[in-house]
Amino acid sequence: MSYLRLFRFAIERLASALLTLLGVSILVFTAIHLIPGSYEAVMLGPQAPEAARERLREKYGLDDPLPQQYMRWLLAFLGGDMGIALCRSQQSIGQQACENADQAPIIAEFARRAPATIQLAFMAAGMANLVGIPLGILAGLSAGSRGVRGTSRAISALGMGIPSFVLGTLFVYVFSVHDLGLTVGGYVPLSEDPETNLRAMVLPAITLSVFGTALFARTTRDAVLTVLAEPYIMAAVARGESPGQIVRRHVLRNAAIPVVTVSAVNMGYLLGGAAIAELLFSVPGFGWYVLAAIHKRDYAVVQAGVLVAAVAFVGVNLLADLAYAIIDPRTIRRGLG
Amino acid sequence: MRIPFQGDFLSRLAVVLLAILLLLGFVGPSLPVGDPAAIAFGPRLSPPAPGWLMGTDNLGRTMLPRVLQGIRITFVLATAPVLITSVLAVVIGMLAGYLGGWFDELVARLADVLFAFPSLLLGLILVAIMGPGVRGITAAIILITLPLMVRVVRATTLSIASRDYVAASRVSGASLPRLLLVHLLPNIAGAVVVQATFTISVSMLIESGLSFLGIGVQPPVASLGSLVQNGSVYLVQAPWLALAPGFFLAVAIFSVNLLGDGLRDRLDPLEAHGLK
Repeated sequence: MSYLRLFRFAIERLASALLTLLGVSILVFTAIHLIPGSYEAVMLGPQAPEAARERLREKYGLDDPLPQQYMRWLLAFLGGDMGIALCRSQQSIGQQACENADQAPIIAEFARRAPATIQLAFMAAGMANLVGIPLGILAGLSAGSRGVRGTSRAISALGMGIPSFVLGTLFVYVFSVHDLGLTVGGYVPLSEDPETNLRAMVLPAITLSVFGTALFARTTRDAVLTVLAEPYIMAAVARGESPGQIVRRHVLRNAAIPVVTVSAVNMGYLLGGAAIAELLFSVPGFGWYVLAAIHKRDYAVVQAGVLVAAVAFVGVNLLADLAYAIIDPRTIRRGLG
Repeated sequence: MRIPFQGDFLSRLAVVLLAILLLLGFVGPSLPVGDPAAIAFGPRLSPPAPGWLMGTDNLGRTMLPRVLQGIRITFVLATAPVLITSVLAVVIGMLAGYLGGWFDELVARLADVLFAFPSLLLGLILVAIMGPGVRGITAAIILITLPLMVRVVRATTLSIASRDYVAASRVSGASLPRLLLVHLLPNIAGAVVVQATFTISVSMLIESGLSFLGIGVQPPVASLGSLVQNGSVYLVQAPWLALAPGFFLAVAIFSVNLLGDGLRDRLDPLEAHGLK
């Protein structure tokens, strides 16, 4: 494969990803401005005098035309300025009003909370890969047996069927009633105390990984089945290659493509699901923060949070596209449809 | 009469489980199981007992009829948006796949943008706009599930539109609606039914997730997701409050997934075995 072609392909995908993100940013911005209740009403409360509202509108240019406000927001965002959170550190979801506006920059709050969410996502994705892919390979290779087919189908339907909050609630119950070594809550940063951190993070990570495990198992099984039906497998058998060799050299490599695709899908799930796991297990992460912001109608945070999540998601999909091109150079010629 | 799902134990299990759930949800509440709204029907936070088979909540309300109603609400709120999504997706997807050109390009771009949102976040932001409640959930489910469904319909349409009989019909002067409705629709219907079934399970996950977060259905309406949320406050004292509705929710989604697998095997056997 020529590197020039790979490079051109990468540029094309990058351009398309940027275009998508531009669309996302317009959608998010417009959506937030469609929400009833003006910004100054949220910030100052419904009783505020007209003069104060006026001052605020002037300060933030809220009377400017929307496209102008959008451009200002986008440029500031690109420069790393996501605006200011209305509410101080949002720990609880229950209370509706903001206790105090101490003008915390949103980006600082995101940066403070990102490590917990990233750790959670990596642990969950790792568990899903380590359990799901081998299960899927086994199920695919032994699909001739009815028992294996049925079992893997039931397990994947169950894994994708149990909502993460139901599983998480079950864990919270079992582990708060019985002392089994893992804690519900009690998060400390990994760098501070790895052991306590892991004790607190294992349960939310398992909660978050179950969907992905089922997804990986199912996709890998289907991919292995597809590859096994290809003529080149029969050719390899005819050449007298050993089963182990065939699996390693032909089956796994070719089955990897759909698995890469669902890795990206799973990432999107993790980004949203992390909020629920963080809420259930009191992990002070990014998802919980955005969730609390929605409850408190702190739209600057919501707007920035959704865009950051979309950037992460689109970025992962871009990496997945590039990974295809490297695993299977034919994709470049075919295009990704 | 032919027995459906011959030799497919899991699909039959799914049909039976779904039938039981639908009976519980739609017939159950009119049985003499107690008044779901009556406060102090029994003692507070009582474990399951003969008068209240699923225990009572913090207000002494009996849980059994509340869970039965929750089953119904969960099914209705998951199925109605999927019907809308399916109709929209069939129209948009067939037109995009058949006409191609700028319309196809536009549809693909918009689908990309909607795909770029992690689904729960898209749900959250839509509910923030529309306000919590049934309207917000419905809009969220439709917008989250639409792009995938459109892609499936479009891809299936593309593979069929190039067949000879479609070309023959076009050459002999068939109108666009006739081509779409008579030649394409019957051939994509199987794929749509399979996809719609899986979409119902996705939509159950979205609805219950949003309701669990407190921004889905609002009291007095309760779905299984919001019942889990209400019960989770008393998880240690009265675990049945959260775990019973959670169990029914998991069984519902599990059965819908199994049914989807079974339908895929029957309606689209090549796809089912990854041979397409």
